[in-house]
Amino acid sequence: MDKKVENYDVVIIGGGAAGMTAGIYCGRARLKTLIIEKALVGGLATYTNEIENYPGFPEGSTGLGLMELFQKQAKKFGVTFKLTDVRDVRLEGKDKVVETFRNEFHCKVVIIASGGKPRLTGAPNEDKYLYDKGISFCATCDAAANTGKTVMVIGSGDAAIEEGIFLTKFASRVIVSVLHDEGVMDCNEIAKGEAMRNEKMEFLWNTTVAEFKGDDEHLHAVALKNSKTGEITDVPVDTCFVFIGYLPNTELFRGMIDMTRGGYVITNEKMETRIPGVFCAGDVRDKFLKQVATAVGDGAIAGYAAEKYIAESEMFENQIMGETPRLVYVYNAASAGDRETLSMMEQYEQCHCDLQFIKADVYKSNGIAQRLNVTQTPCVAYIRDNQVVGCVSCGDICPAAIDTLVGR
Amino acid sequence: MAEFELDCMGEACPVPLMKTEKKMNTLSAGDVLVVHIDHSCAMKNVPEWARKQGYNVEVEEVDDGEWDVIIEK
Repeated sequence: MDKKVENYDVVIIGGGAAGMTAGIYCGRARLKTLIIEKALVGGLATYTNEIENYPGFPEGSTGLGLMELFQKQAKKFGVTFKLTDVRDVRLEGKDKVVETFRNEFHCKVVIIASGGKPRLTGAPNEDKYLYDKGISFCATCDAAANTGKTVMVIGSGDAAIEEGIFLTKFASRVIVSVLHDEGVMDCNEIAKGEAMRNEKMEFLWNTTVAEFKGDDEHLHAVALKNSKTGEITDVPVDTCFVFIGYLPNTELFRGMIDMTRGGYVITNEKMETRIPGVFCAGDVRDKFLKQVATAVGDGAIAGYAAEKYIAESEMFENQIMGETPRLVYVYNAASAGDRETLSMMEQYEQCHCDLQFIKADVYKSNGIAQRLNVTQTPCVAYIRDNQVVGCVSCGDICPAAIDTLVGR
Repeated sequence: MAEFELDCMGEACPVPLMKTEKKMNTLSAGDVLVVHIDHSCAMKNVPEWARKQGYNVEVEEVDDGEWDVIIEK
């Protein structure tokens, strides 16, 4: 079966907070934009029951509710959503391709906002009990099914403790397995205090999962190993919630773009990867803080950068480069000196009508300058036969120097 | 290459996934199962589970908060 080919300006891989924000910016810039999400739109945020630190919602919001608003806004700007997983990508070159099971999407820009997936403990039998068989990564999803039951939470970070507190509204006992010494948790102090006071929560310190135990149908117990004594104890539970962090979803891009040893994508502050036209935003990126609020910031930058990249590519190919001789004046419109030199250039242009004269303002974005290898403004580049023949910059710019540059 | 349907409307996790697993066991390779769901939590585990089994999965949003999960065995 041949895959159906569709063309877009921008394809965003991942429909979480970062991807949808990038989508909002691209859609609003009238770019034909597609967001591909493999499961539920909203990404990791939908796993969180309460989001209290996203500005603009003083009463707090549910993760799902907040993400529905993001999607509504993206749709308002004409962004298309496709719910499937990406099978393959070809990122190099001008025409980039993102392949899914039935489609091939061609585009000018790819924004990687693929986020993360829950980290597993790696203990024996974990595979056997994932999702509906007793091991869960989503308290919001599976809390109600555990009403009146005993559950275990693995981990002591913000997600583990906050979701553990949420679980106490349903389960009768919430047993928390913590890797650290008594009283030490990775979560914030507020959550810690609340958890310690919660009567339904019990803590098993210095423990890690040794094995998951149960029958063919369901998990029955978690065997915990005490890291100090080496003692292994079976703890009977109905469901075990694992919150020990996330791993980036970057297998698809391995070897194509630069990543850290942990698999997080390395970008600069413009969310650019090593490949021109490929940007990266959100939790999948190597960064200090992973929150909805920071994902939104990344997404905005990536969306804006994508728009600039497309506009500059078009300008570069259609105006700057060409067969006929031309002078490109690269300048910063905010600089008085650059503007002064501009008037001199305009006079020069009037005396040399056979030369095409193009102005490239780099005040907002220096993509054109980068493509011409220009590091300082003002700068005059002479282009002929689709090649930069030479440049004159800054104080050296004068009619005589330009005459020499164009060979007169 | 038959197509089957499974109605999981109004059912919360983990019921849709359990039903999907049971139904998929009765299908032959190449068959397609369309699962109708309206609980967002099932949107996380049903496609995730199916992909882990190596099936092709695509989801269509039929209406606001209503999805068809298309699984090809």
